[in-house]
Amino acid sequence: MKPFDIVIVGGGGAGLYAAMEAMKTNPGLNIAVLSKIYPNRSHTSAAQGGANAALANKAKDDTVEMHIFDTIKGSDYLADQDAVEVLCSEAPKIIRELDNMGTPWSRMDDKTIAQRPFGGAGRPRCCYCADKTGHTILQTLYEQCLRKGVFFFNEYFALDLSMDGSRSRGLIAMNIKTGKVEAFPAKTVIFATGGYAKMYWNRSSNAAGNTGDGQAIAYRAGIPLKDMEFVQFHPTGLRKSGLLVTEGARGEGGYLVNALGERFMSRYAPEKMELGPRDLVSRSLETEILEGRGFDSPAGKYLHLDLRHLGADLIKSRLPQIREMCMYFEGVDPIDDPVPVRPTAHYSMGGIDTDNFGRTVMEGVYAAGECGCVSVHGANRLGGNSLLDILVFGRIAGRAAAEECGKFNPSAIPASEVAEKEHELRSFMQPRGHYERYGTLREDLGHTLGVNVGIFREASKIKKGIADIEGLQDRFRHVRVFDTGDIYNTNLLQVLELKNMLDLSETVAEGALAREESRGSHTRTDFPTRDDEKWHKHTIYTYESGRPKLAYKPVTMGRYELQERTY
Amino acid sequence: MSDSTIKHHEESRDVTFRVHRFNPQVDSKPYFDDYTIKLEKGITVLRALNYIKEHVDSTLTFRAFCQAGICGSCAMRINSMSKLACTTQVWDELDKAREPGVIKIEPLRNLPHIKDLVVEMDPVVGKMKKYSNWVDSRMPEEQWGKKEFLVSEEEFQTYDKATDCILCASCVSECTILRAHKEYVSPVVLLRSYRMNADSRDGIHDQRLAGLVQDHGVWDCTHCYRCQETCVKNIPIMDAIHGIREDAIERRGTKDTSGARHAEAFMDDIEKKGKLVEATLPIRTNGIAWTLKNLLPMAVKMIIKRRTPPPPPLVKASKGIQSLRKEMKEMASHVTKDHEKKSGE
Repeated sequence: MKPFDIVIVGGGGAGLYAAMEAMKTNPGLNIAVLSKIYPNRSHTSAAQGGANAALANKAKDDTVEMHIFDTIKGSDYLADQDAVEVLCSEAPKIIRELDNMGTPWSRMDDKTIAQRPFGGAGRPRCCYCADKTGHTILQTLYEQCLRKGVFFFNEYFALDLSMDGSRSRGLIAMNIKTGKVEAFPAKTVIFATGGYAKMYWNRSSNAAGNTGDGQAIAYRAGIPLKDMEFVQFHPTGLRKSGLLVTEGARGEGGYLVNALGERFMSRYAPEKMELGPRDLVSRSLETEILEGRGFDSPAGKYLHLDLRHLGADLIKSRLPQIREMCMYFEGVDPIDDPVPVRPTAHYSMGGIDTDNFGRTVMEGVYAAGECGCVSVHGANRLGGNSLLDILVFGRIAGRAAAEECGKFNPSAIPASEVAEKEHELRSFMQPRGHYERYGTLREDLGHTLGVNVGIFREASKIKKGIADIEGLQDRFRHVRVFDTGDIYNTNLLQVLELKNMLDLSETVAEGALAREESRGSHTRTDFPTRDDEKWHKHTIYTYESGRPKLAYKPVTMGRYELQERTY
Repeated sequence: MSDSTIKHHEESRDVTFRVHRFNPQVDSKPYFDDYTIKLEKGITVLRALNYIKEHVDSTLTFRAFCQAGICGSCAMRINSMSKLACTTQVWDELDKAREPGVIKIEPLRNLPHIKDLVVEMDPVVGKMKKYSNWVDSRMPEEQWGKKEFLVSEEEFQTYDKATDCILCASCVSECTILRAHKEYVSPVVLLRSYRMNADSRDGIHDQRLAGLVQDHGVWDCTHCYRCQETCVKNIPIMDAIHGIREDAIERRGTKDTSGARHAEAFMDDIEKKGKLVEATLPIRTNGIAWTLKNLLPMAVKMIIKRRTPPPPPLVKASKGIQSLRKEMKEMASHVTKDHEKKSGE
C-alpha cells in the first residue's frame, strides 16, 4: 500500500484547516483526515464567544501589538513570545480568509465583521457570529473540505503510531463501524485531536470525547508533552453536567449566592464583585464550597447563580440560550429559580510540545490546536484565543506537512503489527473473575482530579491524587469490555479513551506537584506566589517505563519583560 | 438555608426505557429491551442512557459527544419523535408516554441502520456534496485573506437562522418523502442550499438551483411541515423550501420543470375557478403525452376496479371568490415588489 502523504488525526477546526491548507499548498498530495466522530460534530462547535483578531473594525486604534501584549500578560508570561507574535499577526488574515470562504460573521453598520469586548483584552477585538461562532466556523471548514474533495475516514479511532525504531511510519486505527484494525502508512501525521480536560469527567465542560487521544498516542510513542499541569477552570459550570453558563449571565447582572444567602464575592472582589477575572471567581466559588457554605445534593456541592432579580423580560431577550440550557440540563427555569453552579474544567493549555510550525521532536509528526502546545496560552488562555489558535496553527501545520512530506520515505507497516493490536483489543473482552466497570473508574478519576488536582492544589493533596491515579491504573488492568461484537463497539472505545485519560492524568498531577509556585490557572496554596526565578520555564514530560519523566525548557522571551499580572 | 434546601428537594421515581436493540452480527431481527432505573427530576434522556451503559448494560450502543445540544450526535426517536437525547428532559417525556412510566427509544428513520440506536450518516453527507452545500466563493482562492467582503447585517439575518443547523438529521428521520424515496434531496440539504443561495459571497447560485429543480429535488416536497415541527433548533425549514421554489420560478420561469408548472396550475385553478380541477392537473404539469403514457393506464384500471369517485358536480363560483381573487392579486404584487427591491440592492 502506497503511504499517504499526510494523515490528519482529528476533524475539528485545526484538523480541517490543516487539510484544506495542505491541499491548497499541493493539490497533488494524498491526504486523509481520520476522525472518531463525523468532523462536523467536533468540539470546535461548542465555542460560543468568538475569535480575537486586531481587525480594528470596532476600535480603530486596535493593533496587533496590543493583541500580542494582552495574550502574553494573560498567559502569566509563560507563553513563548515569538509564537504569540505569529498567532496575533496571522489573526486578521485568517478571519478574513474565513469570511472569504463563507463563514457567516455578525456584521457592523458599515458591513464589516462585527467585534465585541472580551475578558483580558484591551480593545473589542473578538469577531463573532451571534453566540455560535465555533459552530459556524466548523461548518464552514467542513463544507470547504467537502468542496475540495478531502478524503475523510469518519468514525475511525486512532490507536497508536506505528514505529520504525524511533521514527513514525504511520498510524494504526480502528474502523469503528466494522471493528477492524487498519494500517495507515503515512509520510507525515498531524495530531489535531483537541484537549484533555474531560479527564475531570463530570467536573468538565468538555465533550465526552475530549480525552486527549492524540496527546496520549504521541506521549506513549516517546514524543514529549508540555505544560500539562495548566488546566483552565470556568467559574460557572452547571452542577450536574459541568456544562457552561457563559460569562454573559454575570455580565447582565447575575448574583453568585451561597447557602447562607450571601453574595459572597464581596469577600473576594468587593469592587468588581461577580465580574472579577475568571480564575479569581473560580477560586472564590471553590473556597465557599470548601468552607462549607455551599448547597448539598446527590450530584455534589454547589452554589447559586441567581438571575431572578433581572426579571423575565430581560432573561428572555438577552439570555435565551442560557435559559434554555438551564431548563434542558438542570430542569431549572432561571426566571423562577436560582441556577445550581460550580467551577468546571474547561480548557487544557498543555499538549504535545511543538515548534512554531507544529513540528514535534519526531520527524514527520506534527500537532496543532488544543492538542498541541506551541505555546501561545502559557499558564492561562484568554477568551477568544482558542478558536484563533486552532485556525492559525492548524493552517501552519498543514502547510508545513505539505511542504515537508516529500522528505520522508516510511517503511511499510507489517501486517503482524495490525494483528497484534487486534489481539490486544480482544483481550479486554476476556471474561475475568474480578472485573471493573469503566464507568466507575472514569468517575473516580474525575473525582480525584477535581478534589486533589483541581483549582486549589497543595503537595499533600496532589500526592493523594497521584496515589489514586496509580490505584486506578491497577484497577484498569481488570476492566472488562462486555460488548464482544465488532460493529460499533462504543464500550471498547470508551475503555480505550479512559486509558488515554489515565496516562495523561499522571503528567498533569506530576507536573502540578513539581511546580512549586502559583501561576495562571495553577494555584498552589502552599506556594501562593509566582516564582519567576525558579519557575519561569515550561515543564516537559517524556514517557519512560510507563511513567512521566519531567524536564524543563526555557520560555522564549521577546519585547515584553516579566511583570506582575494585575487587572 | 433551610428554605432553599426544601425547595430543591428533588422528586425521584422509577423510569423504564424501552430501547430498540439490534446488532446485525448476532441478531436476526430487532427487538426491545426494557431498562428500569431510579432517576431524579431534572435528568436528561442522554444522562439516563449513559447511566444504563455505564452501570447496567455496557453493550447498549448510541452516539453522544458534546452533551450540550450543539454537536448533533445523539439524535434518536424518543416516544416516536426525532430529537436530541441530550436536550430532552426525562420528566417531560414521562408526560407524553403512552404506557405510564415507559419511554420508548428508537433509532432515526430513513437512514441505513448500523446497530441499536446508531444509523449511517453518509447519505446526508453525500447529498450535501451532490447539491454543493458550500459557499463557492466569488473571490479566487489566491486572494483569500486580503480583504473582507462587505455584507449587510440584513443579509446576514436572511441566513442566520439556517446556520443554526447542526446536521442532527432529525428532519431527515421524520421526512415523509424520504420514507417513499431515499433519493429525495432531504429537508436538511434544502435548508443548507437555501442558506448558500442567500449568501452574496457565493458564486454558483444558478448552478446549485439547476440541480435543485431536477427530479428528487425541491419540487418533491409535499409541505407536510414535519421537518419544521421536528427541528431541534426551531429553524423554519419550510420557509427555506418555499424560498428556493420562489427563487426557481423567478429565475427559471414556470415552464422550467414539472414542479414549477404544477405550482402554476394550482395558482391558475384557484384564481380562475376557485378550486382545483384535478383531472387536468397532470396534463398541465407533465404534458399530454406523459399523462397518456403514465397516468391513463392507471386511471383506466382504477375505473375498472371502481376506485375513482364519480366526476364532481359543476359548481358555480361562490360569492367569496371575487374577494379571494382580489387578495391573491394583491399578494402577488407584494411578492413582485419584494423581488424588485431585492434585485435592486
